[in-house]
Amino acid sequence: MRDAPQARPARTKRSWAWLGVVPFFAFTLLFLLYPSSTIVSKSFRDSGTGVFTLQNILALFKSPYILGAYWISIKISLITALSGAMFGFVLAYSAIRGNLPRFVRISLLTFCGVASNFAGVPLAFAFISLLSPSGLLISWIKLTGYNPYFHGFTLYTFWGLSLVYMYFQFPLMVLIIAPAIDGLRREWLEASQNLGASTSQYWRYVAFPILLPSLMGTTILLFGNAFGAFATAQALTGGQINLVTIVIGSELRGDVLGNPGIGYALALGMVVIMALAITGYTILQRRTERWLR
Amino acid sequence: MTHLSLNNISKQFANNTVVQDFNLEVEKGEFVSFLGPSGCGKTTTLRMIAGFEVPTTGTITLEDKDITDKAPNQRNVGMVFQAYALFPNMTVAGNIGFGLKIRGEKKEAINARVTEMLALIHLEQKGNSYPYQLSGGQQQRVALARALAIHPEVLLLDEPLSALDAKIRVSLRAEIHAIQRKLGITAIYVTHDQEEALSISDRIVVMYEGKIEQVGSPFEIYNFPTTAFVASFVGTLNTTTAEVVDPATHLLQIDGVQLQAAEGLDDKQKGDKVTIAIRPERLNFITQERKANVMDCTIENITFLGSVVRIQVLVGSNRFYMDTFNNPFLELPRIGDKDQVSCSREAVLVLRQ
Amino acid sequence: MKSRGKIWAWFFIILGILYFFLPLLATFIFSLKAKLGVLSFTAYVNVFNDPKFIRGFSGSLLWATLTILVGIILFVPTAYWVRLKVPRARSAIEFITLIPFVVPPIVYTFGLIRTYSHPPLLIVDNPMLLVAAYTIISMPYMYRAIDIGLRSIDVRTLTEAAQSLGAGWGTILFRIIIPNIRVAILNGAFLSFAIVLGEYILARYLVKPAFAPYMLDLGQNKAFEPAAAAVISFALTWACMGIISLVGRGREQAPVGGAH
Repeated sequence: MRDAPQARPARTKRSWAWLGVVPFFAFTLLFLLYPSSTIVSKSFRDSGTGVFTLQNILALFKSPYILGAYWISIKISLITALSGAMFGFVLAYSAIRGNLPRFVRISLLTFCGVASNFAGVPLAFAFISLLSPSGLLISWIKLTGYNPYFHGFTLYTFWGLSLVYMYFQFPLMVLIIAPAIDGLRREWLEASQNLGASTSQYWRYVAFPILLPSLMGTTILLFGNAFGAFATAQALTGGQINLVTIVIGSELRGDVLGNPGIGYALALGMVVIMALAITGYTILQRRTERWLR
Repeated sequence: MTHLSLNNISKQFANNTVVQDFNLEVEKGEFVSFLGPSGCGKTTTLRMIAGFEVPTTGTITLEDKDITDKAPNQRNVGMVFQAYALFPNMTVAGNIGFGLKIRGEKKEAINARVTEMLALIHLEQKGNSYPYQLSGGQQQRVALARALAIHPEVLLLDEPLSALDAKIRVSLRAEIHAIQRKLGITAIYVTHDQEEALSISDRIVVMYEGKIEQVGSPFEIYNFPTTAFVASFVGTLNTTTAEVVDPATHLLQIDGVQLQAAEGLDDKQKGDKVTIAIRPERLNFITQERKANVMDCTIENITFLGSVVRIQVLVGSNRFYMDTFNNPFLELPRIGDKDQVSCSREAVLVLRQ
Repeated sequence: MKSRGKIWAWFFIILGILYFFLPLLATFIFSLKAKLGVLSFTAYVNVFNDPKFIRGFSGSLLWATLTILVGIILFVPTAYWVRLKVPRARSAIEFITLIPFVVPPIVYTFGLIRTYSHPPLLIVDNPMLLVAAYTIISMPYMYRAIDIGLRSIDVRTLTEAAQSLGAGWGTILFRIIIPNIRVAILNGAFLSFAIVLGEYILARYLVKPAFAPYMLDLGQNKAFEPAAAAVISFALTWACMGIISLVGRGREQAPVGGAH
């Protein structure tokens, strides 16, 4: 069999030990790092000649089509992040601090744990079942004689998609903000009351400032979450709404942008935005943790 | 002059009576401790004074005004919590000045007061630090300063030292005592540590299972406990059951050994069983001056505690502890020796059940 | 004042409940409407009898199983080794395991296909590429679950005890380490399972049989069967999450998923 490891002298043991992590690094190199790096490198290369160029990236800013796609993606991500954050926070606070029976909190957290995984094709179908022209809720409303679809309402638009996105946005908010709300110690409320503060003053000077980094950080995370979504939009609108992710998807099927290099630049742009979002989230989370040690 | 009074206070949670028949009058500038084990109701009573709990019955009066129904943010009492409860998003200065900011004081006034408080707690350099940058002891001092900054009528402290290391506890409690004396502020201090209560209080309220067991100065509580609980909770104690031989001369007997008490048998008859208690330090070896009571004993164990040597003796079937000051030239008996111990008549305490 | 707050709390909770459950309810009811005029499970029968469903679903099952196996074979020894011998590699590895969080699946798929659809690396049609990609996507969850499991047992002492009794590396890994992090591995496995089963993009663009593309195609052609497929998908995800919380026994909360 093998040598007993203790038999090796200490110095050599250290350099041999790194062999043990080679499989991991090789695997991730092949299937994560290299493909990801080609996105970066090919963005800066002219697709025809391979020469270094910034044209691909500049082209992003020159194309109204692409700028429009980024704008729609940013818009939907911003709207669903802010709404998801607000509603999620209110929901989490109600369940945790609203003097409700204990099962409410446990059920809410459990359901959010599941719901945050419910994205993609089945989620789109669920909302279609609810709000399509023959959907359940529409049928109920039609019983009153009013048909929303005759009055301009439709699920298959930007706002319909936003509504669907909310389904995985605010569960994520609830799950991440719940520990922060738990961390709001009762003594802080009592200490502030003891010093003369009213409830709104408590919120203004103590609770909200303490929660703010967490709130902001999670909102940013929600932004990134929505920004990178693809399957939900594809399943709901068939690619009609021009999100950056949808454009990348079309680009994969066949070059729709006229220049493969732009596709890479587009993808790079997404990665940059996501990286900024995650970094922002991490910084703000660390801040909170430091305070609440 | 009575500054704070609690009259017939009781508190019930669902079917649980947590505090009962609590009556207390506190003078201005007095330092009163509520002492008792967990669950005895001391913290609940303190929180009723602060306004975080509403009494089920009874009234609380401060400066002759009834504050029983007043909201906690309108009472002008300063509270120090066990877990410090400093606001993590504010600096030390921000925390201390918070109460004044809420009251709408001017910035200069707030800064002046904060500086004054920082000097009081000897943390002048830490005004711009955040709570997470301070040690536990420092945080608690800031909490104290924060409570005092608003010129409260009463200072309430809820086991403020429980979360701290033993050494810090001793130095900080002395500091708290000094500050209280200096400012002349009325203080109510909740603790389960009898040494803490004994060392800094003007009066101690010993509580057990929601009721007041005894109120008195530390000296009284320690030396003249009136109930079995107080006697056993405060300091170490030797307790046993004795049989009354002659109530008139206060003669008792335990396991055939006769003991003389000084008082406490007035309502007893021959043959009654009473609980008696003797403090370990009141027992002596017979080589020292002869006291009224002499008991034959066997030495079971000798423990060296530093300044005190604790000797475990068997008197009849009773195990007693005897404390004697450590003296390098003292000749201690050996384990297994037969010896005699004595104590005065006053040392034999007859306890009310 | 407290009671007024309570009313608001209930209001929002009920609103949340409605928003959560109505879509699910609608999907379920819709899925029962395949037969005109009567509620029946016809749609489900159609789905289960559909050869494309069988292809797609068994495909996803296969990919999920293979992904979990590759994950265990790759991540358990790595995490173990890092803890034991090469702690300095730790931050690099943690960083790598977090990259899939930053790179959205569509972007990752884009990079992957573009890289591997040109010679000499023309492996884009190889099914194992899909498994490798799924392993990467589930890596943040699988690796972390395993790492957390290892954190809770004293890896060093167990290893030294085993070595002093004469065990070799294989014995240590299989008979001592893995059995002791069983719960963590199961945790990661079920989460990976849920992820792979619901994954659309990679399966579609690498053109391999899978459940989510099947569902989307179904949606183009049929009215009620897609709802039935969605219910099946929800039920499976729920089951996975449920098993995770049962198996995890509340130790570490199931990691959150995100958008797809």
